[in-house]
Amino acid sequence: MKLEGDYLFNGPREEVWAMVRDPEVLASCLPGTQSLKQISPNEYEGGIYVRIGPVSGSFAGRLTVSNEVPPESCTLTVEGKGAAGFAKGVGNVFLEAQAPDKTLLKYTGEFNIGGKLAAIGQRLIESVGKSMINKGFETLDKTLQARMAGKTPN
Amino acid sequence: MAGKYLGQRLKRNEDPRLLTGQALFVDDVQLPGMLHAAFLRSDYAHAWIKSIDPSAARQHPGVVAVYTAADLGKIWKPGPLNVPPPSGIPGVVFNQRTQVPMAKDKVRHQGEAVAVVIAESRYIAEDAAAEIVVDYEPLEAVIDLEKALGEGSPLLYEDLGTNLASFVHQENGSYAEAAARADLIVKTHIVMERGTAAALENRGYVASWDNKSQSLTMWATTQGPIALRNGLATILGLSEHQIRVIAPFVGGGFGPKILLYQPEEIVVSWASLQLGRPVKWIEDRQENFGDTSQERRQIHEAEMALTRDGKILGVKDVFIHDTGAYNSYALTIPLNTQTHTTGPYKVANYLTEYRVVFTNRILVTPLRGAGRTYGTFVMERLMDKAAKRLGMDRTEIRRMNMIQPDEFPYKTGIVGQDFAKNVLDSGNYPAALDKAKEMIGYEAFLKEEQPRLRAEGKHVGLGISFFTEGSGVGPYEGARITVEASGKVNLSTGVGTQGQGHFTSFAQVAAEQLGVDPKNIFVTTGDTEAFHWGAGTFASRGATVAGSAVNAAALLVRQKILKMASKILEAPEEELELADGMVRVADIPSRCISLAELAVKANPSRGAVEPGTEPGLEATAYFGPPYGATAYGCCAMIVEVDPDTFNARIQRLVMAHDCGTVLNPMILEGQIHGGVGLGLGNSFFEKLEMDDNGQLQNASFMDYLIPRASDLPPIEIAHLHTPSPLNPLGIKGVGEAGAIPIPPAFVQAVEDALPEYNLEISEAPLSPNRLFQIVQAAKQA
Repeated sequence: MKLEGDYLFNGPREEVWAMVRDPEVLASCLPGTQSLKQISPNEYEGGIYVRIGPVSGSFAGRLTVSNEVPPESCTLTVEGKGAAGFAKGVGNVFLEAQAPDKTLLKYTGEFNIGGKLAAIGQRLIESVGKSMINKGFETLDKTLQARMAGKTPN
Repeated sequence: MAGKYLGQRLKRNEDPRLLTGQALFVDDVQLPGMLHAAFLRSDYAHAWIKSIDPSAARQHPGVVAVYTAADLGKIWKPGPLNVPPPSGIPGVVFNQRTQVPMAKDKVRHQGEAVAVVIAESRYIAEDAAAEIVVDYEPLEAVIDLEKALGEGSPLLYEDLGTNLASFVHQENGSYAEAAARADLIVKTHIVMERGTAAALENRGYVASWDNKSQSLTMWATTQGPIALRNGLATILGLSEHQIRVIAPFVGGGFGPKILLYQPEEIVVSWASLQLGRPVKWIEDRQENFGDTSQERRQIHEAEMALTRDGKILGVKDVFIHDTGAYNSYALTIPLNTQTHTTGPYKVANYLTEYRVVFTNRILVTPLRGAGRTYGTFVMERLMDKAAKRLGMDRTEIRRMNMIQPDEFPYKTGIVGQDFAKNVLDSGNYPAALDKAKEMIGYEAFLKEEQPRLRAEGKHVGLGISFFTEGSGVGPYEGARITVEASGKVNLSTGVGTQGQGHFTSFAQVAAEQLGVDPKNIFVTTGDTEAFHWGAGTFASRGATVAGSAVNAAALLVRQKILKMASKILEAPEEELELADGMVRVADIPSRCISLAELAVKANPSRGAVEPGTEPGLEATAYFGPPYGATAYGCCAMIVEVDPDTFNARIQRLVMAHDCGTVLNPMILEGQIHGGVGLGLGNSFFEKLEMDDNGQLQNASFMDYLIPRASDLPPIEIAHLHTPSPLNPLGIKGVGEAGAIPIPPAFVQAVEDALPEYNLEISEAPLSPNRLFQIVQAAKQA
């Protein structure tokens, strides 16, 4: 399954990059995240609770960041499994400075799902996935605004 | 040959219980101390199992045991074959890989069991199952049938070195020679896809080992209780007489429940033995999509050689059959395809060859239609194509190639599912074709109604398709009939019942011989304690084979009754008649004795009997035909296609059908209605969508559509009667009839409804979406 989209952040590219690479920020932004722990500079482990239509459950997974070109692009590899099935995805993230305080994040990715997730959640997963990502970006943008508001007086 | 009871439209004896919730189903069984099982199933279609850690689940409060393949010890081994590969065909390749109780080193389809939790409740068992940690190493899945046989394909069985499960080649005459002298050769590439039986009741088992009596009672939704008992005895190391299998009322079989040694059957009964407590497992609907066998994926390359006036010279059909991850049921389905492809037609030169392929999907076993459906689809599509190319009427080309009534028994020379060379026993095929044409109003529709409807802008088409249904195969079934001192009659047979009306139709057969109201005949099916010889309910054989055994047993009891009554009433046997539960002297009805009194006299409690006397008015008899009886019929339908949504609705459906002697016309019509429902599903609704990784995409009734009541058209049925010479009652089977001819008739009607696109549909099932795509492709061509 393919997933792609973009989101316009109201902030400079370096700030957006710093946030994307901050596990605590990521954990607070992804809906349903129960934990996210950095286990090496480029690897995180954590848990997330997902509900897709009639399927719900906790997933344990690993996130790996590779091909990093700060603050332009990176590749994210996600693998997760739980009682409701498994998911595996690879996505490329690009940050494009459109103005000093406007950064366009573009992502393209492909992921496979299996188990109950695929069998029952199949027709909902794309819209649920997109909505989760968008919610995440919205929260991220709010955090960004808060950070920048905090920083401006300095 | 309608009699006083036989052939009458009697309401079913079992229905009051079924309709008021008084019938026992497996899930109704509640026993003191009963535990509940939940299986942990693989999310992957193909993966190595690196480790299984059940420790957390074992600690879960309320859990009694957790078992994996490693815990099963000697019980763990690939199960016995349900059906052997065919004898009598030279050069057969058969690589046996049967189902295992739980996956050990490797999972081979999504939904395969890897562990079981036995707990105080199903809730606890499922929660604990989620705590079992399985470390999988996922492998590339084998899904595509053609790629599976290609070089470099991943393998399900490394030791085999190939995904080829079987190869079978049969030829009667010489197709090459026929093709060389043909005026026309038409070719087609046919794809049919998998669906599921979707029985109302899923599978379920309750196993109860009793230490004090050293016996195991098993309630099971099986179509073959006796075979299950015998198989379990061997697997569990018990005597057959220590096991009683009861198949109570079962909410639909349709084939998958005849599969024996299913993992849950073995694990649940073994667990009860280990724990000394009853264990219940009831399959839920989502499990059913991943662990109950399915059918209908074949790819055919077929061609037909004809003369310019439409006479068939030969047919060649080379196909691939998907068996899924295991081949426990051997080759029943593709053999049925081979024998049913030529159907009612005379094909002097017929080459049929197939390869069976292992794939990472649940195993394939017969499902109502069982191979016949594809063969019929292939042949009827070829007929349609030939008719178009030759500018002939589609019914005329069929008629001129039909086996004629005086040509039976007709030998096709092809070995079928019963390993005998196929013989069509009897019939009047042209009469069925004429009847169906008359019922649908063939000429009037094509000449008047269709042009008128087209002028109104409607897209309405007619489809007509012929089929045969090999049925009533051996080996045998038996029955025991006892006239009790109460005057009631007891009838037991080994086949199980899944809604076919056996409690009524078998009673009607016995009633006819014994002169007893069928309501006073108490029928027991599917309980190994009541009758313990037999094969099971499959291949449309219940009425034909078990029905014939009932008839034979009833005749023996009738002879005992007449012999005894003749002495008591002092009248020769031929002057006696049996009616209303009495034996009477025909001319002097006052000289009579009731069957109840006779039964008392037949079982004296004191005194002496003549040497050699058997007690009671009781007899047991068996029946096995030399080969199966072939029913047949012709289905015609009118279909309207909505040109905007591409939804297709069947407006009328007629079926002219011949299954020989009819036991109960109402039950027969019910069988055809149900079959038509499945056939319609196979035509337009039901397709299991599988991705390249072996992940099922529509494992719920939210996404997997089965026809609803509102999708079914009114069904008009005509019965033709050509008694089969293969059994004394002249019965042929009907269980699968409704399902077989629907896909070819449906796609033909859809083509006929959309003549502007000159469609050539070579697949089933369609869907509105798929039909839209086919039309778009035709527009661009």
